[in-house]
Amino acid sequence: MTESTLWYYLIPLFPLLAASWLAISYLFFNNRGEAGEKHTARVASLASLASLLLLLAVDMLALWQGVPGQTQALTWFNAGDYHLSFSLRLDTLGLSIGTLVALIAFLSTRFSINYLHREAGFQRFFMVISLFTSAMLLIVLAGNALLAFIGWELAGVSSYLLIGYALDRPNATKNANRAFVTNRIGDAGFILAMAFSLLWWNSLEWPVILENAQQHSTLAVGVVALGFLLAALAKSALVPFSPWISRALEGPTPSSAIFYGSLMVHAGVYLVIRLQPLWEQVPLFMILLAVLGALTALYGFLSGLVQTDVKSSLMFSTTGQVGVMFLLCGLGYFTLAAWYLALHAIWRAYQFLHAPALMHLVSRPARPVPAWMQRCPKLYIAALQRFWLDSFADAVWVRPLSLMARDVQAFDDRIVNRMVGLPGATGVYPTLSGHQSDQRIGHARGMAGRLLQWVAAWSYWFEEQLILRGGGEGLLSVLNRLGKSFDKLDYLLSQPRYLLLMVVVTFAVIL
Amino acid sequence: MSSAFPWLSILLLTPILGLILISILPRGPHPRAIALAASLLTLLFSLILALNFDASRAEVFQFSESYPWISGLNVYYQLGVDGVSVLFLPFTSLLFAAVIASSWNSIHKMPRIYYALLLLLQSATLGVFCALDTLLFFLFWELTLIPIYFLISLWGTGPLRRYAAIQYTMLMLAGGVPLLFGLLWAAFNYAQAQLATQGGTIFEHLSFDYVTLLANPLPVEAQALLFFLLLIGFGVKTPLFPLHTWLPTLAMEGPAAVAALITGLKLGAYGLLRFLVPLAPEAAQQYHWLLAALGIIGVLYGAVAALSQTNLRRMLAYASISHVGLIVLAIASFNLHGFQGAVLQLLNFTVVASGLFLLTGFLHQRLGSTDFVALGGVAQRMPLFTALFFLFALASIGIPGTNGFPAEFLLLLSVLHSHTGAGIAALLGVVLSAAYTLSFYRRALLGPIKNDGVASLIDLRRRELLIMMVLAFCILLVGLYPALLLDIIQPVGTAWLQGL
Repeated sequence: MTESTLWYYLIPLFPLLAASWLAISYLFFNNRGEAGEKHTARVASLASLASLLLLLAVDMLALWQGVPGQTQALTWFNAGDYHLSFSLRLDTLGLSIGTLVALIAFLSTRFSINYLHREAGFQRFFMVISLFTSAMLLIVLAGNALLAFIGWELAGVSSYLLIGYALDRPNATKNANRAFVTNRIGDAGFILAMAFSLLWWNSLEWPVILENAQQHSTLAVGVVALGFLLAALAKSALVPFSPWISRALEGPTPSSAIFYGSLMVHAGVYLVIRLQPLWEQVPLFMILLAVLGALTALYGFLSGLVQTDVKSSLMFSTTGQVGVMFLLCGLGYFTLAAWYLALHAIWRAYQFLHAPALMHLVSRPARPVPAWMQRCPKLYIAALQRFWLDSFADAVWVRPLSLMARDVQAFDDRIVNRMVGLPGATGVYPTLSGHQSDQRIGHARGMAGRLLQWVAAWSYWFEEQLILRGGGEGLLSVLNRLGKSFDKLDYLLSQPRYLLLMVVVTFAVIL
Repeated sequence: MSSAFPWLSILLLTPILGLILISILPRGPHPRAIALAASLLTLLFSLILALNFDASRAEVFQFSESYPWISGLNVYYQLGVDGVSVLFLPFTSLLFAAVIASSWNSIHKMPRIYYALLLLLQSATLGVFCALDTLLFFLFWELTLIPIYFLISLWGTGPLRRYAAIQYTMLMLAGGVPLLFGLLWAAFNYAQAQLATQGGTIFEHLSFDYVTLLANPLPVEAQALLFFLLLIGFGVKTPLFPLHTWLPTLAMEGPAAVAALITGLKLGAYGLLRFLVPLAPEAAQQYHWLLAALGIIGVLYGAVAALSQTNLRRMLAYASISHVGLIVLAIASFNLHGFQGAVLQLLNFTVVASGLFLLTGFLHQRLGSTDFVALGGVAQRMPLFTALFFLFALASIGIPGTNGFPAEFLLLLSVLHSHTGAGIAALLGVVLSAAYTLSFYRRALLGPIKNDGVASLIDLRRRELLIMMVLAFCILLVGLYPALLLDIIQPVGTAWLQGL
């Protein structure tokens, strides 16, 4: 590990440290309310400025000496045969998109200072936005899947916190949940891809994965690619996952919107561009990328036409454009997609930051839907309903699960609980008298309990009937009776026909 | 550090010393202070032990002590720790100190007995981790039941607390019998083998020494019985699927402190790792599918059941069933990273699962309920509480930066590598864990304030904040630098795998 590459880590570290500092100062130094605003704003914007300046310095160096490329892996921890490590990849793609991310993050942090003045949760907002900046920089600059995944997850958490910024609004928090859980499906895909690339290629470094992808069987590559594809689709809100992004609008107007509009939504595209050789190895995935991209573009375009507020139409337009980027990737134009990404991010950032001001300047109502759409009402309704993607997800995923959850709960209470003999929901008495009447000694519940009660009753009968009664007289009489029966049995068995029968039965049992 | 000095015995006796002090001081001024001091002293000792532990040969039992106990049966009072159990000592002690400190103002009824029982439980629990003689282990194992029974039945918060206590004890005793038979079976089988070569009486050759039993595994046909006996014994406590219903009941009825202890200390899973697999290695490999099936059922069943809960404590109980299922699944994978992940996750539980229960206890103390009908909008009144709850929830979901991430990541890796199908199902469990945790977080803590109780809530006090800060510090420390623990676990895991 050469000292000269360690300082690259400062780029994502600055905003992360700012976020931690804001949390600490909130907890211990009472940096709350309006009094703390100035300090908070300064820390957050300085951190993102520092990242930006550092990145610009790296850019300058890169122009001078050539790009640094992949840095040496830095071990985080070892487990089994695997070394889980960090590394950065500062190539043309990473540096250019990274600079863009830092720039947009810095500008929107600056913008938010005035916009959120005197909002409750000012400190929280800047904490989260710094965390988000750091996460995005990690995704873009990461040299291996692990570091990218860490950024990926942190971006998910900070987007959760940004969407649910208004803690008291049920809608906001509900949407935040939905967005996070949808993203979590993508994260599961990411984990799957990492697990298999570790198993087969024993590495998570991007170059190693890509190199191996070109040498190995398509099945192995396909599994890894599938995982990464799932992750990219969920993060960039492509068609089956699209609805979460329109829910993300619940965050404070420009600042969270800018992140969905211009940064996080592009993370999936970035991942696809980063893993270019992986897709090229499996043609099926190229087709899939193109088809899903085209579908998303259509979805975004059509739904965007019928929106009546500025943020929603911008969001659908973003979704559509991201779809086009996937389409481009699917067709093999990865470089073009990267350019598209950069230009779109800048343009969208500008638009989103403008949106609130625009509302003050423009007073005309939203444009009506175009004439051709008015002519086909079915399409219009479909677009208005956002192609029922949300209801579809509800129907196939959310509702069955919650029904199943209820069933499992009932199963647990009624069957498992009874079998094991614990008091379930049914064991709670509505009234006190009901409870008292059931307090007889030796009253058992549950299968084990009943079994025990039965055994106890039987042995009690045995004890009372045979042994206790009259000092063993009972036992004597029973034994007498038993002896007489045995006599009878003996007599019967001595008859040849029964003897024969017994022999036959014995043989039947043995054979 | 020289092994001659009985460090482990002193560690086990420190809580007992506190117990004695509490009981002999008549109307002692502050039983809680004595208890806290004793548990902090234990924590200090266990930290000293962990720091002096020779990590370069972590697979060897260190600080060993051995005194004859029942000489006719070759039972010894034998203690020792390896790289896995030595880590449990400080985490357990920390948990007990946190539990005692969090009970500070909430116990008004018979405080002397309450704290004395907690100290007894601490000593017994530490004994479970230190015992090297299987019968001594069994003694400590069953000894934990007595304090738990009284803690639940006397200081429980639910109306069915007596019932919950009886059921818990009955079920644990029912699990204890197969466990005892299993341990005896191992000892007698060993004696039988020795008898064949050396002659003499069977009692001469009995051995309950864990290390001896490890070195001389049972004949393959005898292992199957041992496997099933131990599986029932440890499975009840883990808890594994059909025997899990005591946990939600206990979480509802018992005091928050006990719920935190029981969900935090996964003794059952520890038993699976330490006794079941090493003592019956061939049978464990033969029946790996059974372990894996129980694990994956636990993951999904717990997760789905957690989705429909209406009470925070029941939800946490089912979440804990789901998380421990993943550990069992990884144990059934028999690979090194799975072992490391399992131990790390077990250690995490002592901080994360119990931290969530302690937070729930703080809420319960303020509101008298943790049902979400009584909650909603807590965040507006208790921002610190909410922030900490969120951090602990993230750790239990396994977000990078918290200790949950390295553990869960390793567990998932190992399961995907060995049982791919179950691993993919476990990934579904990961998605669900975010769903139930965050949706409960939302319904309980966010949203508008719906009732007066919440409107007049007071945020965490200094003492409560301090406890949670210590636990949160552990979460972040292990989350950022997991090698701290993983490197000590690794040699033990290698030895564990070699025994298979």
